[in-house]
Order: sequence, then structure tokens, then C-alpha cells
Amino acid sequence: MLKERYVLTQSQKMMVFILSMCLYGLSNMFTELVPSVNIGPIELQIDCFAFIPLALCMLFHPLYAAIGASTGELIFGELMLGQFGGIDELEKFILFSLGMCIGGMIIRNAQSRSQVAMGAIAGYGIFLVLSTIVDIVKVVIGVEDFEAVPGLAESIYVVEGVEFLTDLIFSGTLFALLPTLYLVPRLYGKIEPLLGMKPRSNKANYQINEIITPKFVLMSLVLSVIAFLATTLAELDIEIGVWEPEFVDTYGTQVIWIVIGVAALCSIAIIAYLLKKGKDSSKEDMSNIV
Amino acid sequence: METSKLLNEKFSLEYVKGELVRTAYSTEVNLLTKLDPRVLLIWYSYFAIVPWFIHSHVVLIGYLLFMIFLTYKAKVSPLILVVLGLGLLTEMGIIFLISLLFGGNFETVLPMFWLSIKLGGISLASVAVFTSLNPEKFSDALLRMGFPSAFSFSVAYGYRILPTLLEEFQQIILSYRLRGQAPSKNGIFYWRKLAYYLIVFIRSFYPLILNTAKRSRTTVEALETKGFSYAAKDSEMIKLKTGYLKLTYIDYSFMMISVLYLIIVHALHFVL
Repeated sequence: MLKERYVLTQSQKMMVFILSMCLYGLSNMFTELVPSVNIGPIELQIDCFAFIPLALCMLFHPLYAAIGASTGELIFGELMLGQFGGIDELEKFILFSLGMCIGGMIIRNAQSRSQVAMGAIAGYGIFLVLSTIVDIVKVVIGVEDFEAVPGLAESIYVVEGVEFLTDLIFSGTLFALLPTLYLVPRLYGKIEPLLGMKPRSNKANYQINEIITPKFVLMSLVLSVIAFLATTLAELDIEIGVWEPEFVDTYGTQVIWIVIGVAALCSIAIIAYLLKKGKDSSKEDMSNIV
Repeated sequence: METSKLLNEKFSLEYVKGELVRTAYSTEVNLLTKLDPRVLLIWYSYFAIVPWFIHSHVVLIGYLLFMIFLTYKAKVSPLILVVLGLGLLTEMGIIFLISLLFGGNFETVLPMFWLSIKLGGISLASVAVFTSLNPEKFSDALLRMGFPSAFSFSVAYGYRILPTLLEEFQQIILSYRLRGQAPSKNGIFYWRKLAYYLIVFIRSFYPLILNTAKRSRTTVEALETKGFSYAAKDSEMIKLKTGYLKLTYIDYSFMMISVLYLIIVHALHFVL
């Protein structure tokens, strides 16, 4: 029997996206601000309220819910609070979407508790494993002469390992497994009509190759490669202006002082110009410019 | 008791809410708000990525000083600075303590210290930039720079919807607390209280999810009445919408000063 496909219209996709973005973004704002509790080296921290994206991925189209959640984290948790971390946010975006998406895709029947539990653990677990690996690699690359420092390598592995375990056991049960088990069966069948769509039934199936389109795979591959290359470049000790030592040898350090002096003079000139212009144009608080 | 009272006052939900809204809606005019958002974004992407490739201590400190100056100028909320600082310090402290166990010494924490300086510079750059970006302008700049329309819309929408969401979430939590009964004993380390609040917090998401679902449907319907999904793909339309973004002398001067400052800092690296 040919299975009915789970298709959403353009605006329904947007609805799922916005819903997931708002909710996870809001929760992420709190987790960013709640301080973590340290018991020795073990850090009890509310890492993320993974149950929100997990529940939404199980109820709706996993891809849009997962990407929405990651976008929400980016916007509410990082941009609004000004904690945007650059390259690693890209990695977290990909890893988190991937984990949540897989968690949602495993589920065939949102009312079966065992399936929901499995999806929650799998989704959160995959995300944690991947991000632990990335974390270790990042510190190894970010710290120069990593191997040379005694005790640093071991301590990083221990810290990351312990963090992974506490996250999986502590956050995994409290903030992924139990709340998802509470929410998903309750929301199933109630929330879909609010968005004007039918519940995701186990009869209606979506095809995996519809979610994982070549474009999607290509995009995530390219992004991962960029992130990876960026971190490896950092490892190679490539510095801006590495050509200059010869330059210093031939002309002596005086030339460099001259360069600095000229640059400083130019910037002072610009600042003076701005101050003058600010006074001329209006009597507003243009002095803030400087 | 006294300290917990003080902490309660300082870290009440009201305070956090106020600070968040203030951060998200920086309406005060400062150095950075006058710049074109595109300039600010490009400037930021330099200072968010390039420090990762720099190991020179002089240059890193130079970057950090620049960022401290800008953060001061951008009048960043103290709550956010405290959260940021605590995060960096505890990270370093933990690593130091554990490396002591493995026979390390003060030397061990030194590379971590420089990593923290690096991270501090990057974080301050983002704090300064994103607290002084107007959401509308930010979203339009993203749209103009070719980001997906859903993303650039979400940025503006997120900033706009945040107060409503926070308000609603607080109402739900309060109504749960009114109807429920808080534990009379605190327990060791306040665990009873903590567990109670956590359960209330998680349960509050059930009504919140349903309410937000309704709201997101209204939003999307309103968007579609304006022809969002077609208009956002049309390049003429984007040009018209973002036509007000223009570079002024302030933008050019800011870029020039940044470049000159970078030259100074990188040159100092070879002298010092």
C-alpha cells in the first residue's frame, strides 16, 4: 500500500519554524542567564531545555522545527544577549539541528511513550556526543603548544568526559526525557489544529530523501568544512603580517614606529574632523561619536 | 538570610526581564547605533573570526582594549557583563584546579589565560555590536546582504515578540504558583524549592506552547496577506525595502579608525 506523504504548505512550514524559534529562544534566554552549580569538578548546569525542540520535532515536521529551534537559540540566546561566539555558533547550529532532527525522525507514533523516550534520548545523545568531540578538538586547536604543557591534555579530556556524562544523566533525564514524555502525548492532536494542520499520524509518512535533499546535505557539508578549515588554520599558526620580520630586519624598528605614528596621526585627524563636523551639523550629542 | 534577600532583589525575574528588554531594545543613541548596520556586521565578522588566528599577546590585548572601549561606549547592561565575566573566570578556575591534580602548575593555566583574553575580546565585540543594533535595521541589513528571508524576518520578529512572550510566560508561572503549593521546607541546598520551581517552569511550557502556536499562525497569516513568501524572493522588492540604508561619513570614519587602529596594534607586535 502506498503511504500517504506528510506534506506541509509553505506557510505551515513557516508557522512551525516561528513556533519553534520563539519557544526555544525564550527558554534559551533563561538557560544563558542561570548560573551553573559546581560540585567539585562536576558542573550541574542547565545546558538547554532540549525538551522543547524535541517535542516539536516529534509533533511536526522535524527539519523545520529543528532549524527553527537553532535559529531561535541564535537570535534570542546569542544575538540579543550579545553572546555570539563566532565560528562555534555555526557548529552548534548544525549539530543541534542534526540531533533534534534525528530525534524527531525516529518517532513514528507520537502517542507511544516508549518511542517518545527513545527519540528524546537518541536526539539529545547524538547532539551531546558530537558537541563533546568538537569541544575537545576546539581546545586542542585553540591552545598553542597544547602537548607541551604538562597535565593540560589529560585535564581537558577529564573535564569534557565528566561534562558529557553529567549532561547526559542530569540534563538528559531532567530536561530532555521527562518533560518530553510529559508534553508530547498531551500536545498531540491538540496543537496541530491550532496551526491548521492534521496531526502527524503513523500512516502518513514523509520520505527521508525529501528532508535530506542534496542541497541540504551540500550546505551542511560546506559549512562544516568551512568551520573545520577555520579551526585548522588557527592551528597552523598563520598570523597576519607574518612576512614582516624581514621587513623589520632591513629597515629597523624605526620604520615601524613611523608607521605607528602616521596611523595614530591619521586617526587623531579623523576624530578631530568628526568632532568638528558634529559641532557644526547639530547641537545634538554628536560628541558621543568619539 | 540577608544575602539571599539581596540576591533575590538583584536577580528577581523582574530585574532579569528589565535587563533583557533593555539589552534587546537599546534605544539610547551611542557611537555604534549611528553606523550603518551593514558596516557594523562586516566589522563584527572581522573581530569575531580573525582573533581565533592570532596568537600574538600584544595584538590580543590590543583587540581587547579596543573592545572594552566600545563596550563602555555602547553602555552594555551590567547583568550581561557579569554573566560573561563569571563564565570566563569559572572556566579558567576549573581547568586550573584539575590540572593541579595532574601535576600541572601555574604554567598550565597560562595558555588558558590567553585563550580567555581572546574569548573576552570576541565576546565583548558581540556584546557591543548586538546591544546597539536596532532590530529593524539589523533585519534589513541581513536581507540586503542576501541572508534567507525567513532568518532576517525572525531576527526582527524575535526582538519584537520578546516582551510579549516574557510577559505571558511570567503570567503562566504566577498562575501555576497561585494554584499550587510551595514546599514549606527548603531541604538541603534548597533542593525542594529548586525542584518545585523547575517543575513549575517546565509545566508552564504546556500552555505557552499552545498560545504561541496560535500566535505564530496569526503572524504567518498576516505575513501572507502582505505576500511575504513571494515578495521576499524578489530582488527589486528587497532593494526598495532596504533603500534607506546608506553609508555616511560616520561609517567611513569608523572604518578608517578601525583599520588604523589595527595597523597600530599589528605594528606594535613587531616592536614590543
